[in-house]
Amino acid sequence: MKNVTGNESGAAIKRRGLVFYTKIYFKIIAQDIKSKMSYRADFIISTIGIIATNIAGFIAFIIMFGKFPSINGWSYYEILFLYGFSLISITPTQCLLDNNWSLRRYVYDGDFVKYCFRPINVWFYYVSEVFDVKGLGQLVFGIGALVYAWIKLAIPVEFLLIMKIIVALVTASLFMMALQNAAAASCFWIQNSFWLLDISLKMKDYAKYPITIFNDVFRFIFTFILPVAFMAYYPSLVILRPDNVPVLTWLSPVLGVAAFYGSYKLWMKGASKYDGSGS
Amino acid sequence: MNNIIELKNVTKEFKVLNRHEGLKGCIKDLFSRDYKIVRAVDNIDLEVTQGEIIGFLGQNGAGKSTTIKMMTGVLEPSSGNLIINNRIPYTDRTKNSQEIGVVFGQRTQLWWSLPLVESFKLLKDIYQISDENYNEMLELYGSMVDIETLLHKPVRQMSLGQRTLSDILAAFLHNPKVVFLDEPTIGLDVAMKSKIRELILELNRKKNTTVILTSHDMGDVDALCQRIVIIDKGNLLYDNEISHLKHFFGIYRTLKIRPRENVIEVANKLKDELYAFEVSITNDDTWISILVNEEKNRIMKVLEAVQETHAIKDMQLKEISTEDVIKKIYEGGVRN
Ligand SMILES: Nc1ncnc2c1ncn2[C@@H]1O[C@H](COP(=O)(O)OP(=O)(O)O)[C@@H](O)[C@H]1O
Ligand SMILES: [Mg+2]
Repeated sequence: MKNVTGNESGAAIKRRGLVFYTKIYFKIIAQDIKSKMSYRADFIISTIGIIATNIAGFIAFIIMFGKFPSINGWSYYEILFLYGFSLISITPTQCLLDNNWSLRRYVYDGDFVKYCFRPINVWFYYVSEVFDVKGLGQLVFGIGALVYAWIKLAIPVEFLLIMKIIVALVTASLFMMALQNAAAASCFWIQNSFWLLDISLKMKDYAKYPITIFNDVFRFIFTFILPVAFMAYYPSLVILRPDNVPVLTWLSPVLGVAAFYGSYKLWMKGASKYDGSGS
Repeated sequence: MNNIIELKNVTKEFKVLNRHEGLKGCIKDLFSRDYKIVRAVDNIDLEVTQGEIIGFLGQNGAGKSTTIKMMTGVLEPSSGNLIINNRIPYTDRTKNSQEIGVVFGQRTQLWWSLPLVESFKLLKDIYQISDENYNEMLELYGSMVDIETLLHKPVRQMSLGQRTLSDILAAFLHNPKVVFLDEPTIGLDVAMKSKIRELILELNRKKNTTVILTSHDMGDVDALCQRIVIIDKGNLLYDNEISHLKHFFGIYRTLKIRPRENVIEVANKLKDELYAFEVSITNDDTWISILVNEEKNRIMKVLEAVQETHAIKDMQLKEISTEDVIKKIYEGGVRN
C-alpha cells in the first residue's frame, strides 16, 4: 500500500550541462516575458519610457558633441560609434543580470536562502529569475547609432570587420557584466555596498568616451583598476584605428573572459559563505 | 544504516561582527576581528528514520531554522557530523537538493509572477521529473486539494494560505525523501492551518516522505507528529513520543484574564491570593496568565477565587503554549 519511493531513480538524473541550463533559461524568460505582457498597460508605458529615455540620452549626446568637429583627434562620428558601441555592450548586463540589483535586499532580508535549495547552480538560478526587457530597447538604439556612424565613417562592410566588431562587442559586454556582477557580490561581505553597484552603473557612462580625453590618473584607473576602457574604447579601436591597435586591445577578449569568470567565482564564493541571517 | 537523518554533536556558531558606521567603518569591518560568537545550535544529536514526521519545537531564536539550514546544505556546521541520506549536505548541496524539499513559511520559492502550473513545469525540468511521475503527482494533488483554482493563479495574487499550500505541493513534487517545513502554518487562520496539516499528513502517508516540521504552535505538532523534539537556546531539551508529553501538558491549561485595575498590581496581589492553588502567574501589558494544573485544581475554582477580589473585563482559556511546556520541562515536571 505504501509507495516507498524517494529517488531510487537517482541514476536517471542527468548531469546538468550547458544544454540543460540554456533550455531552462529560455523557458524561464519566455514565461517571464509572457507574464509581463499580460499586464498590457504596464508594458506599453514602460516601452514608451524606454524610447523616451533613449531619445533624451541621444539628444544630450548631440548637444554635447555636435558643436565640435573633433575632440582630441576623435571625430563626431567616431564618438557616435563609441556611443552606439557602449549602448550595445551594456545590453547583456541590463537584460541578463538585472536581478543583481536586488541581491543586497535578498541577502539582508534573509530571502536569499530560497535560492539555495534547488539542485542547480545558485548564480544561474538567481539571475535567471529576472529578464529586463527594457535593455532590448537600448540595444535597438545602440545598433542604430553604430550602423549610422559606420556608414558615415565610410568603413567598408567586410566579413572580417563584422567578425571583429562582434568579438569586440562580446568582449566589452563581458567586462560590463564582470563589473556589475562583482559589485553586486560585494554585498555578501560589505553591509552598505549599494554605492559599489551604483558606481559600476555610472562607469558605463564614462565608457562611451575615448579614453584619451581623460587625464593620466583617470586613464590609469579606467584601464587597470576599473575596466571602463575595455567596455568600448579598447575593443572598438580594432575598427576605428586599425593601423594603431595597442596590445591591450588584442588581449582584451581573453581578459574579458577572465574578468567575467573571476566575477562569477567571487559571486559563488559569497553565496557559499552566506550565513542565512535575517530569517 | 536505516537512518535518513543523523546528527551527531552538531554545533553551529555565528560570528557576529560589531559593525562600524559609514564608509570608513565599512572598510574597517572587512578586516575587523571585533567579533561576538553566537552559539545558535549547541551539540545536538538526532536520528530520524524514513517516513517519520518529527515535530521540531522551540521558541523564537531557539535554533530551529539554523538546524534546518544545516540539514539542507545552506550552512556548514561549526563542528559535529551531519548526514542526510548518506550525504554531507553542505559539501554535496546540489545532490542533496535533488532529494529534499524545503518550505520556509512566508517566503515563497515559487516564481512570483507565474501561475502555479508554470512553476510546476519549471520544477519538472529542474528536478528532471519524468512525465509519468509528474502526472501521477498532479493527479494525487487533485484528490487532496482543490488544485484547479490554484494552478492558473499567479502566485503574487494568492492569499498567504494558498501560497503556503502551493509551496508545500511544490516541495513534494519531485517526490523527495525528506521535506523540511519551517513554520509552515505561521500567520494562517485556524481553517487553513488544519487544511495544511491534513495535506502534510496525507502526503507523508502516501509517499512515506520523512517530514521535519518546525513550529512554535503545539497544535501543529499535536495534529501531525508521533515524536517531538524540543530545542531551547540551541540545546536539545526533549526528544520523545508525543504521548509521553501529552500526558503532562494535557492536564495543564492557561486561564487568561484582563482585570479592570492595573495589571501589574493585580498580578502581584494574585501571586499571594492564589498561593494555595499552586499556579504560576505571568503577565504582559494587558493580560494575566494563570497556568493551572487541572489534576490539582479546577479552573473554575481558580476563576471564582480571582473574581472574589478583582473585577474582570475579559477572560480566555488556552491550551498550554510551547513556552509553558518548555518551562515545565525545566522545572522537572516532565522527564525525557
Ligand atoms: N546568520 C546569522 N548570524 C548571526 N546570528 C544568527 C544567524 N542566524 C541565526 N542567528 C541567531 O541564532 C539563534 C537561532 O536562530 P534561529 O535558528 O533562526 O531560531 P528559530 O528558527 O528557532 O527561531 C538566534 O539567536 C539568532 O539570532
Ligand atoms: Mg525560525
